[in-house]
Amino acid sequence: MYLYSLTLQQATGILCAINGSFSGGKSQEIVVARGKVLDLLRPDENGKLQSLLSVEIFGAIRSLAQFRLTGAQKDYIVVGSDSGRIVILEYNKEKNTFDKIHQETFGKSGCRRIVPGQYLAIDPKGRAVMIGACEKQKLVYVLNRDTAARLTISSPLEAHKSHTLVYSICGVDCGFDNPIFAAIELDYSEADQDPTGQAANEAQKHLTFYELDLGLNHVSRKWSEQVDNGANLLVTVPGGGDGPSGVLVCAENFVIYKNQGHPDVRAVIPRREDLPAERGVLIVSAAMHKQKSMFFFLLQTEYGDIFKVTLEHENDRVKELKIKYFDTIPVTSSLCVLKSGFLFAASEFGNHALYQFQAIGGDPDVEASSATLMETEEGFQPVFFQPRKLKNLVRIDQVESLMPIMDMKVINLFEEETPQVFSLCGRGPRSSLRILRPGLAISEMAVSQLPGVPSAVWTVKKNVNDEFDAYIVVSFANATLVLSIGETVEEVSDSGFLDTTPSLAVSLIGDDSLMQVHPSGIRHIREDGRINEWRTPGKRTIVKVGSNRLQVVIALSGGELIYFEVDMTGQLMEVEKHEMSGDIACLDIAPVPEGRQRSRFLAVGSYDNTIRILSLDPDDCMQVLSLQSVSSPPESLLFLEVQASIGGEDGADHPASLFLNAGLQNGVLFRTVVDMVTGQLSDARSRFLGLRAPKLFSVIVRGRRAMLCLSSRPWLGYIHQGHFLLTPLSYETLEYAASFSSDQCAEGVVAVAGDALRVFTIERLGESFNETAVPLRYTPRKFVLQPKRKLLVIIESDQGAFTAEEREAAKKESFEAAGVGENGNTEQMENGEDEENSDPLSDEQYGYPKAESGRWVSCIRVLDPRTTQTTCLLELQDNEAAFSMCTVNFHDKEYGTLLAVGTAKGLQFWPKRSFEAGYIHIYRFREEGKVLELLHKTQVEGVPLALSQFQGRLLAGIGSVLRLYDLGKRRLLRKCENKLFPNTITSIHTYRDRIYVGDMQESFHYCKYRRDENQLYIFADDTVPRWLTAAQHIDFDTMAGADKFGNVYFVRLPQDVSDEIEEDPTGGKIKWEQGKLNGAPNKVEEIVQFHVGDVVTCLQKASLIPGGGECIIYGTVMGSLGALLPFTSRDDVDFFSHLEMHMRQEHPPLCGRDHMAYRSAYFPVKDVIDGDLCEQFPTLPMDMQRKIADELDRTPAEILKKLEEIRNKII
Amino acid sequence: MSVFGGDSWAREAQYRKRRVDDLIIEGLEASAYKKLPNGKFACIICPNNPVLDTPIMLSAHVNGSRHRAAELRHKDRELAMEEEVNKRLALSDCVSTNAVANASVKQRKSTSRPLIERARQAASEVFPGGVEQPEMKSAIGNLVTSCGGDSGSNGSSIEIEGSHKGLIREMQPLDYRERQERELKFTAAGWKRDCHGRWFKDENVEFDSDEEDPNIVLNNTS
Repeated sequence: MYLYSLTLQQATGILCAINGSFSGGKSQEIVVARGKVLDLLRPDENGKLQSLLSVEIFGAIRSLAQFRLTGAQKDYIVVGSDSGRIVILEYNKEKNTFDKIHQETFGKSGCRRIVPGQYLAIDPKGRAVMIGACEKQKLVYVLNRDTAARLTISSPLEAHKSHTLVYSICGVDCGFDNPIFAAIELDYSEADQDPTGQAANEAQKHLTFYELDLGLNHVSRKWSEQVDNGANLLVTVPGGGDGPSGVLVCAENFVIYKNQGHPDVRAVIPRREDLPAERGVLIVSAAMHKQKSMFFFLLQTEYGDIFKVTLEHENDRVKELKIKYFDTIPVTSSLCVLKSGFLFAASEFGNHALYQFQAIGGDPDVEASSATLMETEEGFQPVFFQPRKLKNLVRIDQVESLMPIMDMKVINLFEEETPQVFSLCGRGPRSSLRILRPGLAISEMAVSQLPGVPSAVWTVKKNVNDEFDAYIVVSFANATLVLSIGETVEEVSDSGFLDTTPSLAVSLIGDDSLMQVHPSGIRHIREDGRINEWRTPGKRTIVKVGSNRLQVVIALSGGELIYFEVDMTGQLMEVEKHEMSGDIACLDIAPVPEGRQRSRFLAVGSYDNTIRILSLDPDDCMQVLSLQSVSSPPESLLFLEVQASIGGEDGADHPASLFLNAGLQNGVLFRTVVDMVTGQLSDARSRFLGLRAPKLFSVIVRGRRAMLCLSSRPWLGYIHQGHFLLTPLSYETLEYAASFSSDQCAEGVVAVAGDALRVFTIERLGESFNETAVPLRYTPRKFVLQPKRKLLVIIESDQGAFTAEEREAAKKESFEAAGVGENGNTEQMENGEDEENSDPLSDEQYGYPKAESGRWVSCIRVLDPRTTQTTCLLELQDNEAAFSMCTVNFHDKEYGTLLAVGTAKGLQFWPKRSFEAGYIHIYRFREEGKVLELLHKTQVEGVPLALSQFQGRLLAGIGSVLRLYDLGKRRLLRKCENKLFPNTITSIHTYRDRIYVGDMQESFHYCKYRRDENQLYIFADDTVPRWLTAAQHIDFDTMAGADKFGNVYFVRLPQDVSDEIEEDPTGGKIKWEQGKLNGAPNKVEEIVQFHVGDVVTCLQKASLIPGGGECIIYGTVMGSLGALLPFTSRDDVDFFSHLEMHMRQEHPPLCGRDHMAYRSAYFPVKDVIDGDLCEQFPTLPMDMQRKIADELDRTPAEILKKLEEIRNKII
Repeated sequence: MSVFGGDSWAREAQYRKRRVDDLIIEGLEASAYKKLPNGKFACIICPNNPVLDTPIMLSAHVNGSRHRAAELRHKDRELAMEEEVNKRLALSDCVSTNAVANASVKQRKSTSRPLIERARQAASEVFPGGVEQPEMKSAIGNLVTSCGGDSGSNGSSIEIEGSHKGLIREMQPLDYRERQERELKFTAAGWKRDCHGRWFKDENVEFDSDEEDPNIVLNNTS
């Protein structure tokens, strides 16, 4: 089996983010690392974050830093990754790429203890960079400029110290003195030697300054001092005239200012009032903002509260350190303060947000200061505060993030054309169920009912230079309605349009006159109101029209074409007539090229399944230039011109080209390239869009021409980052559409469907899914489908939180104490936290109040996905938490489908994994499945982490025991068990009488149940100890699994072994056969292996397109979705493996990790072709593309077509 | 070989001892006592409802003469009640409940497969006493596979088959295959056979309080 791996949705979580001016000048950009993807984001003028560039680097990005050489205008990006190399990137604005400036190798690849890459620190003046490992090694590179002002990098200088753990490093701002780097270090050499453990208890963290002597070209340890043992983060303090220099050490409960030769200045971090005393407060992210006259820091705690830290200093002496409560936003992994007054918060989990500063915390608020720090008997006196509404920040945009995907299912619950992806995302109060549909999201601006059922709609400007459209013209079966666009949209009668007849086309002609084509003629409305009417000869009527700004072609019934042009005076003049052999099915004229008088091409589709290109040149007017036969009569034609571009904002180089698109009656969209000179057609591609013949319309998307195709659902064809994408829109079926532009809505679409007129805009281009989110209460763990009623049953659980009732009570109490009226949000608690505006302290924003770490809260929820209503929510009591779930039909029992839920009471992971009890609850569905009722609850001696139905009974994995249960009256009845599993059972799949058991650490075990003996036997297992995170049954002998190191693999039982197991007449063999070393007698074979580079949490076998082949869809912790498609032909395998091989050679990954090594990080990659690498083919320079194509005996266009084809097989 | 793997006798013994309580309770009829929220047991047969501290005390009480007498009275009362109900039912509706159930099942089947049903009806007229229902037998034979698919959709069909089986059992002695199937069912439920062919309960398997005893069921029907 060969598989093609393709990422359907890039990772949406962010690990680290930096901001700077990467394109140079005044613009502010953000570079984010999403695991293996590097993204460049920029807030546009409307405050929306736009993704400019996204590059998969085939390696793990561990740290990012930006630096700027003195006097330069542009920031560079330093990337610390698992490649054992330091890479410096520059953003190339013209080509919209990251250019690799330097790549220096210093160690082995992979994320290792002592190979640097984990930490990066920059000298604030951009003269040196330090890259550090978790342990021992630190390297310093000197950055400089050569005579041509190019960046140079020195050979590395070592600052190693063995037996030392590093917690954080940063550069120290000391002006133009020798660069200094600070690090929090812990020396464990003594602790390692001392067997009593005393030294380990006494181990002390140190703050160490390393000085880079630029004269001697040497790094030395300059200064080291003990620091609080809770220290976890360092923040650079401005120096060299701007501030006092030194560092802020963020420790548990404290922020300490430290510098060489300066006494510590310490202030306590204010605590939330409801925080249990046992919990400390840690800073998790920090940002510094520096202006000419002042600077301040924003520090965020692990609870989400942001504090503004200011230093009062006199020259180099710091007098006071103040920590003032600023605002509370969800916990971030990085904070970026942009110079333009924005704060980008890259959330640890859940959606990222862009905030605008309203104030910088000038108002009085809770403040801790070093001057008022009180030390008492029990330690320092804490300062308390109460979180409040956002005061200094206002959220202006958010970027969706699925991170982490906990579980996922692909089902077509809504009976739509394509299945929906249901995914459980997020953590704690920010968790949600997200329903993903393949397609672009749209936002509906207006819907209005019309008096009849319209057949067509157009928008038209009054003047070619107008920015906005003036009229919307709607045609009915026997009338035309004209609406004028202004403050409101209203009907007008003075427009000059004929309203007693249906219209065939309405457009702007020449510079400032309007044209209406109706079945009996052409009405030309001049700017001054004069009207010229051209009438059709005899009784013939106009059936089709094609026009651009200067040319009009009409087709009369019977197949006659008449060609008009706008002359110098603005008159419409008849130029040519041409008789075609039969009736015309559709017409289109290419847009007038820039700087030309007329367009050269007319496309005519006929009912004899042909498309002809006719010339409109005066020399050879109406000559057939080329002819294309198609599979079905064309219904609609559209020329789409792609302007020449050499990179720029949006994409790679491509020459100008003209595409002819045709919607055929069988629902296929047919697309060919038209030669700009000869009119020859080449490179035909077709794609099935839906059951109706696609109608094609030209619309404007992000200032560029795009194509809207209306089949049984609407599709948009547009260019994004250099690729032509054809994506469905998540909207209902439309009849007719036109682009729409007004001052409320610059780039919209107006469309008719049924008797309604709809105006909408298209959002978030480039994404392949759009989502609907349903908030949940706690971290979702698993969900199952209640098949009959199509309801989802979700289990959620959280550690260290209070139950809803306790929270509600505490909230009420605190409101009463604060004198705020309780604003009736009891139901809101029940339905999740959706209306954050009405709730001053939504949990989504502020997090749940923290309880002791041993406390669990958990609930079971029945959710109707169509209405997104929760029909039943059972909160588990007594510190119980749900971990597994399945639906089960016990045979011979009266209840029908029941729900089994495995729970654990009082589960603790630290200091040792322990629990009070495990239970299996059995629930029955009531009221058409909407409500759950507890039938009974059975105590078991382990945590049931896996449940499954098997032959009308319940199979449960309880710790390391696999057990079969039957339903009893008051409890489950144990019928059979097998205790020979190595660790903990985490997944159970069944098929016929086989049971596929996944062990937490030991991959799959294949079992068989023998009814005649009432015994469970393990007959095969895996040879590789895999730490299983997800499993999926593929076929009778094959299982797919994913491990926690980011690998996906398939194992298969060899055919002969499988046959032997199945044909065992006496049953003696399976019973007495012994494996070696306590293993099973047979071993499964690994048939597929692939390193995804991200922890896969769920696998599912599904097809995302109607009638498409099944593929494996996976979701990952970082919030990405991917697919593995099995190849169906040997030719394809050969082609793609060669393409992959060439891509590996010609286009090595950006951050220096070898592609083959990356995909084989833990086990050698086997039989999987990396589609993400292959899809980087169009980003190569043209000559490189041609070279690779030559070696594959194809043209670059053919390769692109092949890539497009295989992508279309998946989504 | 023990299904526990035979690795630790002591643990099993301890475990068994611990389960004695459960087993004592299981031996009692569930409707005869009530477990109170404080863990004690109340006898609900005896008119004075004595409260007993442990399952052992409860079992001792159940064997006591006073309880026995009360139980007898209780049963008498219930029998009388049932008789009364039956009498009234018979008076109100001449069709027995059994026949109603039978008809409804047939109706359901015939709507789904009218041709087969018609053919069978014709056959049953020709052969008095009813014919074997071939497809039903194969359905039971396939029970394993049909449940194994764990689709969960065939819950209702299983119920139908179950009720059919009941009918057949009344009508005629079991044939060999069916008997084998029933025996298999008992093995799967945890029953074992000793060297005399008698059934006994596997000590590591739990049973419901009202579980059918194969010694009785299989001997009666054969």
